Amino acid sequence: MTITAPHGITGPRSDLDVFLDSELLDPWAGYRQLRDLGPVAFLDRYDMYAATRYDAVTHVLRTPEVFVSSEGVMMNDEMNQVLRGNTLCSDGAAHDASRSVIVKPLTPKALRPLQESIQVEASTLVDRLVERGRIDAATELAQHLPVAIVSNLVGLPEEGRERMLVWASEMFNCFGPMNDRTINSFAVLGEMMEYATTQAVPGKLKPGSWAEAIFDAADRGDVERDKCPVMMIDYMGPSLDTTIFAIGNAVWYFAKHPDQWDLVREDPKLIPSAINEVLRLEAPIQAFSRYVAVDHEYEGVIMPAGSRVITYYGAGNRDERHYPEPDRFDVRRNPTDHLGFGAGPHACVGMNLARMEMRALFESLVPVVKRFELHSEQRALHNVLRGFTSLDVTLHV
Amino acid sequence: MPQITYIVDGASTTVDADGSSVMHTALRHDIAGIVAECGGNAMCATCHVYVENGPLAALPAISVAEEEMLECTLSPRAENSRLSCQLPVAPTIDGLVVRVAAEQA
Repeated sequence: MTITAPHGITGPRSDLDVFLDSELLDPWAGYRQLRDLGPVAFLDRYDMYAATRYDAVTHVLRTPEVFVSSEGVMMNDEMNQVLRGNTLCSDGAAHDASRSVIVKPLTPKALRPLQESIQVEASTLVDRLVERGRIDAATELAQHLPVAIVSNLVGLPEEGRERMLVWASEMFNCFGPMNDRTINSFAVLGEMMEYATTQAVPGKLKPGSWAEAIFDAADRGDVERDKCPVMMIDYMGPSLDTTIFAIGNAVWYFAKHPDQWDLVREDPKLIPSAINEVLRLEAPIQAFSRYVAVDHEYEGVIMPAGSRVITYYGAGNRDERHYPEPDRFDVRRNPTDHLGFGAGPHACVGMNLARMEMRALFESLVPVVKRFELHSEQRALHNVLRGFTSLDVTLHV
Repeated sequence: MPQITYIVDGASTTVDADGSSVMHTALRHDIAGIVAECGGNAMCATCHVYVENGPLAALPAISVAEEEMLECTLSPRAENSRLSCQLPVAPTIDGLVVRVAAEQA
């Protein structure tokens, strides 16, 4: 089954090339164009619908009986086959069963005991970087907590772990349509799947780790044994780049808007709100997709069974119909309902950990760093992720 | 429009249920104590309420995801504990009375 145009497309259409380099690097005008066309618009170049208004994106995400995940949430069917059966790509009872296993170490209660060690790690890191002054925030600041702490908790074998950052990023590239970026990333994805199948196995996993708990669940019969490798991807994929990019995006915004950093410094209780605001403005994952299982009408547009709709978190988050002055960075806005973590049954299962990491980092930065001075930046050119590969900044104390 | 009563620190406030959920309605009316940190995705247990009265049969059953989060509440979980984000507004919930848990996060 490949992604093809359904018969008899009604409703608005667009020939915008949403995966063009320039659109990926600066998608906001294109998103606005699509939002203004209608709640969903058919993308002629990709044979998929695009949901871009806030209400449309949440409708799709919160109507899982129509917009299913078990046919994959990626934008090409090769990748939809690769991840078939993991938590991300399942529905109903099967989703409940595997999500229960994956969420166990990520609930607020399970994470509480980790809070102190994450805070200590964050403050040690900040002390070290502040001493250096000029740093690459996209790597040296943003990568540390996810790599040092989260990788350890997941508990994959040390050998090969250094490839994890590359794997995770390339895997997410494969979420896009079959363009050159996706095709090039498929080679690296093979390496990751091989590791998940042959290395992330009992005996090689850290005892008591999250990854080992997946196999324990299989032993109990809670999930099928042959699903364990793809369930590893539930941890290996999203635990790194997404948080890393979110941290980098926050630094970039604070560097560009020193007045907003001042507000946070004056009132550190704004940190959670500021983090939500960054996730709203720059969703680290810009888009996934859903398969339309039955004919469905939404606000006058009929999406036929068998079609696919791209859910643009990044566009919904900037919808002026939902957020006044959507392009303005306002640390006091506290948009808890942003789509940076998705919404509905597939909302990010790691959001509590991601928030904990980000809060710890910015709580450590607030008392010491007066200004982030940005010298230069390099944006990642990526099919679905949004963030920086380098951020040359000076931390002024 | 259905109405919902929120009890916060012993004081009752009755409002029109103009949100999509009991949580969303509370936010729209600035009901104190509903944090709703995760935005209504049954991921944070900071919109914990105790259902005290009203059309109990009209409420949906507790899902697997909600059950997991109810294990994480800071105020003790009780028989009538619910996450208010998992209680959609419908005409049938008119007259619902919920007590907002004292500790959320």
